[in-house]
Amino acid sequence: MKALARAVFVAAVFAGLGVAAGGALSGSASRQAGHTKLTSPLGLPPVPEKYAVLPVDKIELGRKLFFDRRLSFNNTLSCAMCHIEEDAFASTQSKRAIGMEGLTLRRNTPSVLNSVYQKTLFHDGHESHLDLQVWLPLLAADEMANPSMGYVLDRIEGLDDYKARFERVYAAEGISIHSVGDAIAAYEATLLSGNSRFDRWHFGGEKQILTKSEMAGFEIFTGKGGCSSCHLIGKDAALFTDHLFHNTGIGYRASMHSDREYVIPLAPGVETRMLRHEIDAFGEKLRNDVGRFEVTLNEDDRWAYKTPSLRNVSRTPPYMHDGSVATLEDVVEYYSSGEAAKHATNGKLKRLDLTPVERANLVAFLKTLDGDDRGRR
Amino acid sequence: MRSLVMGACLSALLLGGGVTAVQADETCNSPFTAALIKGQEEYLHVWTLGMKGLGDESDKLVTIDVIPGSATYGKVVNTISVGGRGEAHHMGFTDDRRYLWAGRLDDNKIFVFDIQDPANPKLHKTITDLADKTGFVGPHTFYALPGRVAVQALSNSKDHTGKTGIIVFSNQGEIVSTHPMPGTEMGGDAYGYDIGINPNQNVMLTSSFTGWTNYMMDLGTLVKDADAMKNFGNTMAVWDYKSMKPIKVLSVPGAPLEIRWSLKPGDDWALTATALTSKIWLVRKDDKGEWQAKDVATVGDPAKIPLPVDISIAADGKHLWVNTFMDGSTRLFDISNPEAPKQVYTKKIGNQVNMVSQSWDGKRVYFTTSLLGNWDKKGEENDQFLKLYDWDGKELQERFKVDFVALKLGRAHHMKFSARPNSKAIGSTMEVYRSLLN
Repeated sequence: MKALARAVFVAAVFAGLGVAAGGALSGSASRQAGHTKLTSPLGLPPVPEKYAVLPVDKIELGRKLFFDRRLSFNNTLSCAMCHIEEDAFASTQSKRAIGMEGLTLRRNTPSVLNSVYQKTLFHDGHESHLDLQVWLPLLAADEMANPSMGYVLDRIEGLDDYKARFERVYAAEGISIHSVGDAIAAYEATLLSGNSRFDRWHFGGEKQILTKSEMAGFEIFTGKGGCSSCHLIGKDAALFTDHLFHNTGIGYRASMHSDREYVIPLAPGVETRMLRHEIDAFGEKLRNDVGRFEVTLNEDDRWAYKTPSLRNVSRTPPYMHDGSVATLEDVVEYYSSGEAAKHATNGKLKRLDLTPVERANLVAFLKTLDGDDRGRR
Repeated sequence: MRSLVMGACLSALLLGGGVTAVQADETCNSPFTAALIKGQEEYLHVWTLGMKGLGDESDKLVTIDVIPGSATYGKVVNTISVGGRGEAHHMGFTDDRRYLWAGRLDDNKIFVFDIQDPANPKLHKTITDLADKTGFVGPHTFYALPGRVAVQALSNSKDHTGKTGIIVFSNQGEIVSTHPMPGTEMGGDAYGYDIGINPNQNVMLTSSFTGWTNYMMDLGTLVKDADAMKNFGNTMAVWDYKSMKPIKVLSVPGAPLEIRWSLKPGDDWALTATALTSKIWLVRKDDKGEWQAKDVATVGDPAKIPLPVDISIAADGKHLWVNTFMDGSTRLFDISNPEAPKQVYTKKIGNQVNMVSQSWDGKRVYFTTSLLGNWDKKGEENDQFLKLYDWDGKELQERFKVDFVALKLGRAHHMKFSARPNSKAIGSTMEVYRSLLN
């Protein structure tokens, strides 16, 4: 009953203020003490107005929630256990994220850096509001596995170290569905990463900062490789995404091809090989994944996934929505060799036939996209 | 403070006083464990993982009567469900053998059972703040020290990699000290798994497994993930036990797991098996007095990843049981010459097998099946049982089987023997320490 009352209250808040519930931060708020104005680093667009000025206490509260393992059903997982700060807020330990009781999620952990700019969230874009997004992992049975929203709110309420913090930021509202999501979103909004070597070269005018190889890689990226047709570079800023969904063949290959051989490292310099069906004899079978099609039911969206930003890409292996490609070199090879064109069903991808030097230059360029991270603890 | 003094006193006695290394195990207990059961064990405690869709789905301590002739011989006589599935794994006694500590690798809870009445264990205490207080997670090995319990963790709460450490508790459950595993500064990988102490040599050995992400992951998913497969330990560490300082890192590639010191008086060597590379390794001093690790035998066909898991050494240091999880078999190695172990016997126990525990006289050998919740086989292949075999030196003869699926118990994992306090089964090697503790 308590949870229901909260839900009704939050619905009223949303109805009254519009979905931009965090819009309580008006322009005048920026002039008040105790607020932070988020300025975007070189290479990033201005921070969306909703998050441009944030109370410091709200950011701190969101940070605390983000790192708190007590928010999972068994006190084992937090947002930060998959979005690992040292791994550019992604996870580099496994292809797919590992969740509650070791369940394998279907997809690779995306970075939270620069998520404030995302128009949709998750690889298939099934959420579009940053301040609502957190409730999905909080409640997903294979992630943080809380049985209900009310359960989460009750748990937070039962922790001594939260009451005063919520009262400070959300005096009238307290601990609610909205305030929990809003605080975490506020913290995530501060996780900005720009000012990369590429930014300093391309937007900052430091013409000597890139090597010849890196600059040649940029030419491949924007020319022969065709990468920038989806990983967009704007006039004043670059998020390296078109925010759209594309079938690059990775999902199709996983769904439609039955067997393949895996190289299995056993120790440094020691490996063995097994076929997928041999491994499936003792392991779980992959859960099927049809990508954006699951959200839209539009046939054209089968095995389509959101174009990821390439910022910090060298820090966030493995790659693709399922982490099935281990290195940047392998990613480039996948597109260059025609594998992508072979498996993608929309006919937009072509074999690139990049030379070894061109491939090396392209990888060198991608490594210039590592930014400096703001908002870290 | 009292327990700290007592611990120091006992350590001094063991190390400086020239006391002969206390023979360990039935046969893998810490050398500081009192009241070893050298006769007929009477109860078997099985730390059991709850299984979704089976019975109450909860982790539980299952106690089985193993007294020959008893009306309930081979039957479950007690269960304690502790709530939830937290990856129940290993157990260990306090040095006085009054309490049995049992850990969970996922939610890091440590359950302390009072086994004074071994047929009816009682949950005495639950430790829930390991991660908060230490930053280490995955309490794996529980190893008795004088007045203390050393807990080897497997991972950490920051990123769930294998970087971890050892936590020393008082027997009352208070944290006394923490000790990070040796990292790259010493050529180590900072990983942990098992602890094995040889008090005569003032040496503690540790081995190395992997972090939460890997040990919680489905095994099939893991072997298909080449990068994740690189996140296994490839080292053992030699520690100065008295000061709890690492002094040397040994290269032992492929996840060295259980450590078993030879129990034969005068022997100062230990064996381990590497899970991924399927080798038996010998750790002993070389001619110059330096601790070295040496690959001395192969287990099965390493290309098929047989996964040697638990091992059990005979009290006379002559034989070693080695279980290979994937083919569900146990293999007996003659280790009379530890430099060249030879496989002399093998038997299939089930579709999968993990733990093996032999009685002190080696005549009875117990097997259980579960490795890790998400590493166990799936569907019909997912055997879950306890089996007791008689060993006559030539053949294993099945005595009884407790089917943990049919009884709706769960996944059968770690085993510990117990006996009633005045049982004739109990040896008398620790009176001096017990008198100090009392």
